[in-house]
Amino acid sequence: MNSTRDPILNRVNDALRDARRQTMPVLPREPRVSGDVNARIAGTMAAIEYVSGKTRRVKSKDELRKALAELVNAEHVKKATVWENQELQEVGILEMLSQLDVEIVSPRADKHDLAQCDLGVTSADVVLPQTGTLALRTTPEQAEIVSLLPRVHLAIFRPSALRADLAEVLTQVKDRPHAVLITGPSRTADIEKTLAIGVHGPKMLHVWSYEE
Amino acid sequence: MSHTLTHIDFRRNSQTVPPNILAATQKNTRTAVLKRAEAVEQLGVAYWEQLRQAGHDLRLHSITHLDHYLPQLESKVIAAGGQVHWADDAEHARQIVVEIARQHHATRVTKVKSMLSEEIELNDALRDAGITALETDLGEYIVQLDGSRPSHPTNPSLHYTKEYIADLFQRKLGVNAPPEPTALTEIARVKLRDEFLAAEMGISGGNFLVAETGTLVLVTNEGNGRMCTTLPPVHVAVVGIEKVIPDWSCAAILLQLLARSTTGQQISSYTTFITGTRAGGPREFHLVLLDNGRTRILQDVHARETLLCIRCGACANICPVFNQVGGHAYGWAYSGPIGAILSPQLIGTRLAGDLPFASSLCGACAETCPVKIPIPEILLHLRHRVVEGDRFARPVAPAILRVGTQAGTLALALSWLYALGTRILKFAQLPFKRGEWLPALPPPANRWTMVRPFPAFGADFRAWWRRRVTSGR
Repeated sequence: MNSTRDPILNRVNDALRDARRQTMPVLPREPRVSGDVNARIAGTMAAIEYVSGKTRRVKSKDELRKALAELVNAEHVKKATVWENQELQEVGILEMLSQLDVEIVSPRADKHDLAQCDLGVTSADVVLPQTGTLALRTTPEQAEIVSLLPRVHLAIFRPSALRADLAEVLTQVKDRPHAVLITGPSRTADIEKTLAIGVHGPKMLHVWSYEE
Repeated sequence: MSHTLTHIDFRRNSQTVPPNILAATQKNTRTAVLKRAEAVEQLGVAYWEQLRQAGHDLRLHSITHLDHYLPQLESKVIAAGGQVHWADDAEHARQIVVEIARQHHATRVTKVKSMLSEEIELNDALRDAGITALETDLGEYIVQLDGSRPSHPTNPSLHYTKEYIADLFQRKLGVNAPPEPTALTEIARVKLRDEFLAAEMGISGGNFLVAETGTLVLVTNEGNGRMCTTLPPVHVAVVGIEKVIPDWSCAAILLQLLARSTTGQQISSYTTFITGTRAGGPREFHLVLLDNGRTRILQDVHARETLLCIRCGACANICPVFNQVGGHAYGWAYSGPIGAILSPQLIGTRLAGDLPFASSLCGACAETCPVKIPIPEILLHLRHRVVEGDRFARPVAPAILRVGTQAGTLALALSWLYALGTRILKFAQLPFKRGEWLPALPPPANRWTMVRPFPAFGADFRAWWRRRVTSGR
């Protein structure tokens, strides 16, 4: 690609010619969260609340419909965009939102239109209870923009998404061209180390477990 | 290395720090130190120490195997649809980035906070090329509005109070800004939203590069990093060659260390993994790998571990010197203890030779460093380089100091010369002696006496010892 590649690599080789090479260490694994699925979901929710997220445990489609209605009402949701993956289609999020008179914008629409959305709905492929972290893998059906531009982000996960530690979470996303770990809504402490929620990303993160 | 750089006079810089900037710095670092301690406590100190050791060892493994991991990284990025550029120095890196912008006729660029961008003075180069480069991290945005420079590696606006920022927003943005962090943040959100959507190119640095898959890892909190690397049609990442790590299990270790050390969070709000190009993302991904003196650091066995740094800023927060002088006294992109060892090696001891002396060697930095860089030892090694020079640097200390230290070395090595010296000094001091003190000495010894008097040379220890032995006591 350019003529500086080899000189730089030659300098690296020179520098390391007589260097003592450190062997790869055995890496410690994170302390596990013990307990059954119920306790682990509770732990996840507590961790998310700790970083200013809002959580809710949903046990059925009817409860989901009710929860959505409350969210749309509380957050004054007029426009929403939703991941087009199978998981969300199965639970029927799009239909529920339409019934609530929410205008649906395609995640493939122009970014300026998507920026007008009040709500973005995604699933979470992988969840880490210790820190309340959601892993979102970007695919054509799972556009990153849905969890980024709208004012409110709603992520729904099934209990099977829970993982043991961060290393295990990362093995689930490493083969994708793009992924993002999300822990709470966007935040900053750049002004006098005082926490302010809602900078450029979503101002509000709602995370619901769907335990059908 | 750059046309704008001159000798960094740490002493003068540290004497001209406005008191309000110092007060803000101290208030903010104190909070940061407490938050970090809480986060470590919460995780468990024993496991934290395991993490630090693993972090040190895996980073040292990475940099002592760069010859293996850099080519691997390159081939993986290319296989994933990205383009890789290699830059010898700052000037070369600036040219590469400006050229990419020109190819895409980009005139509006949004940037993710990057210390490396400060190191290569990228914003100046873009401006000279007629390209508007907007910093989007809140702290950097504030600093850029004020026409200032970041004062801390991870918290660039550390030296401002909310009142100052409110006033700044009122003056520069023409908005009514109350001195409240939440309200000020909202103003920046609204102002920057349109810029994110309009940007024709996004520029970022990188926290880590995973060789195994060719992945760029970006750790952010505000969401601006995601905006800059998702919305524009082109994404350029400029990253130092030392940021490579072998695989994702290493990333898991470093991610556990980074946020806790930086902000006291267990993990940052957003960690983004970018591997080449993707549907729905930027059409082009460019990775610029920068040397700019890093291979020279790699060569120096006593200073090599400088390259382990993951730029968390914890060493600056804990440092008593940083807290007395603020970040700007360090005169260049990198401040605090890490700046004191990194700057002299990157821009040379001739320009930054003051910095290794800007430390009390208390060791707090090494104790807090998440990858256990032996900063005090490297400081001592660099002091040696400054005064006496070695194969990496010519001596920059004044000739008189060099001759003085060499004479001292000789005198301490030869006992008869040492004995002679003590006798001569007893007489030579007479014109300056006032009672038991030497209150003022001629140059260069006046560097001492302008601060405090020197005790007069008195009894001869060797003679006293001899008498003591012969008298049988």
